Amino acid sequence: MSDPKETSITVEVVYRGIFQKTLAQRICRSIVLAARKRGHTGTAFARYGDSPERNGVPAKQFAVVAINDLELEASMAKYEPAVVDVSIAVDDTLVKGVESWAWYGRQPIWKPVKKDGFVLVTSDKSPDDVLAQTDTAERPYSLVVVPGGASFAGLWVFKDDHTDYRVLGALAKIAPDWVRLDDVMALIKEQTKDESAVQSARYGYDAAKMRQVKAGEGTSGHEKLQFTKPGWTTMRTGIVVDARKPGERNPQYKKYTARTLRPVVNFDTCIKCTMCWLDCPDECFEVTPEGHYEVVYQACIGCGICAQVCPVKDCIVMVDELRFEDNEDKWQFWKKDRDGYNKWFEAKSGVSADPKVRTPAARQEGSGNANPSANPTSASGGDD
Amino acid sequence: MAVETHGTGTLPQIKGVKDVPYDELFVSGHRTCQGCESALVMRHMVKASGPRTIVLGSTGCMYVANTTYYTTPWVVPWMHTQLGASGSAALGTAAGLKVLMRKGKIKDEKINVIAFCGDGGGADMGLGAISATLTHKDYNCLVLLYDNESYANTDIQLSSQTPYGAVTTFSPSGSKKRLMHTRWKKNVPGMLAAGHPESRYIAAGCAAYAVDLMNKIRKALELGGPTFVHTLDPCPKGWDYHPQYSQELGHLAVECGIWPLYEVMDGVCNLTGPTRQIAEGRKKRKPVYEYLKRQGRFAHFADEDVEHFQHEVDKMWTEWLIPGVIPFTVPAKDQTILKIDKKPLHEQKTA
Repeated sequence: MSDPKETSITVEVVYRGIFQKTLAQRICRSIVLAARKRGHTGTAFARYGDSPERNGVPAKQFAVVAINDLELEASMAKYEPAVVDVSIAVDDTLVKGVESWAWYGRQPIWKPVKKDGFVLVTSDKSPDDVLAQTDTAERPYSLVVVPGGASFAGLWVFKDDHTDYRVLGALAKIAPDWVRLDDVMALIKEQTKDESAVQSARYGYDAAKMRQVKAGEGTSGHEKLQFTKPGWTTMRTGIVVDARKPGERNPQYKKYTARTLRPVVNFDTCIKCTMCWLDCPDECFEVTPEGHYEVVYQACIGCGICAQVCPVKDCIVMVDELRFEDNEDKWQFWKKDRDGYNKWFEAKSGVSADPKVRTPAARQEGSGNANPSANPTSASGGDD
Repeated sequence: MAVETHGTGTLPQIKGVKDVPYDELFVSGHRTCQGCESALVMRHMVKASGPRTIVLGSTGCMYVANTTYYTTPWVVPWMHTQLGASGSAALGTAAGLKVLMRKGKIKDEKINVIAFCGDGGGADMGLGAISATLTHKDYNCLVLLYDNESYANTDIQLSSQTPYGAVTTFSPSGSKKRLMHTRWKKNVPGMLAAGHPESRYIAAGCAAYAVDLMNKIRKALELGGPTFVHTLDPCPKGWDYHPQYSQELGHLAVECGIWPLYEVMDGVCNLTGPTRQIAEGRKKRKPVYEYLKRQGRFAHFADEDVEHFQHEVDKMWTEWLIPGVIPFTVPAKDQTILKIDKKPLHEQKTA
């Protein structure tokens, strides 16, 4: 283990607001604590702009580690680190972009990562599959995939599934000058007295898969969403904002990067009951001339209420966001080519479009990322 | 001058889901949580009131999350007002409109004024202002309290609407003391209905019963004068459940009898929706455990806590004069109060 060449390192954790708040906090704190064991100093903090966090909306926390207090202070003199050495995305659907608030735009996951830096993603998928959904790289970086699905929990109940330990182990592999595996394992041992937790860190170290990404690699399929923020000189007296026009949606904040699962609709079994449209808190359904309700994916944030209130079995199915390349509305597709659409529906959702065909219960397996049933506080949660 | 104080009959009751207006006056692109029931209340509120509406919002999730950084999801005019000021803002706006119409400065027409507040802004800080507003019977305004049972915007602090025993930032469950919050939820709509006999409409609703809620808002605006609607909004962030279950938890709150739906219209109390069915014996109340076990904020509950919760809810249904509304009753031995001579004064016999 050599001494670091740089004087400080900045790590950001990109995560789903509230669901992974505790997870991100634990990762950032542990990075600092592990680095201290090696004689470094550091600090962990959350981004003020994310507060108050909203369920699902992408947020960031940071860990800055330096060789001494002076260097730490120098690197701390900014509100939000604009350049980071390592970006850790604890949910793989975040590689489709990050839009944290209005005027923020949709930012590629590698945006703050410096040249030859690291993007570390927790995912069940291979690095190539993850890269296929990541925006075209402008500069080279290394993509590291830590095996495991997204770990979602609530504000009050943390799901201790060792995701943080695996991530720390993987970090020790890519930044050994700053965080050593031995220190990580010793820290976890102190904190938990649990040998399996220590082994999870080692597993993260051993099982992390790395792939070099050259500039130009990735997908150009995602929407460009960039804004020039209005400064105070352009704001109107009394901070008046123009109201939305009827039929318009907020163009400065689309919010779809909050989505981990997306609803796909089987229009053939839809009974036009209006429930999905009526109960959607984000007004993302449009009624079609025939009385169907189609999802406007530019507005959908994937809460899953529509699938829950739909009275028809498997008419609305929530599917892993990483299975989709586009953001187009689908009713026109169904209108033009019903068989083609139904094949697409079956391929994406793993559910038969024919209601007479029974779909095996195992279908959820494929769309397991950020699966609600993995949430300890949902259906069978509480003190069950 | 024909300035109407009371409703003009332009908002008919909605007969069913197919009758709900399509126009969206609160649109996508607000920074609320996934599955935010309060955002749904905002949407239903302006859907019911229609485009000729002015909305005032006191500080809370529905201010901070919705109008994030110099953008807005509102199609209707909307203005921010201070945390405890929803009552005064509603009254002032209604009075201002009335004067402008009387002086002929703006067209004499029905403009709905709705001020919303959270449970922190309405049930804690703004209660006095709302109470004062409800006594000014010459002005048409509706105060809507969206109740997610905590200060949810600032990451879940305890409010007077937080239910018994729930975990919040201010009431964490510990190893020495399991329950840090042992006060029963304040009965706001009941208190306001009992205390403001001149308000023509006060109701308790829930967005999980969308048509019922929209009709309550329409009735409040139609009857005119100062009115009040209180909604219970499941909050995935603070209640700690997966966002997809927002509707289900709203249903459970009502079906377990924890949140009775009712309206007090012109001095007459009506139970609505499943609450009515429960009261009439057509539906059995579900045990509160069904509701509690779904939420992380009650995950620390021991059996005795669940029992206590159930006992308090049972008391509401068996001992209160009207379940959920009037939290006292008359002594069984002494029914004098119920036998009061209700004849006009000049017809009453002296003893």
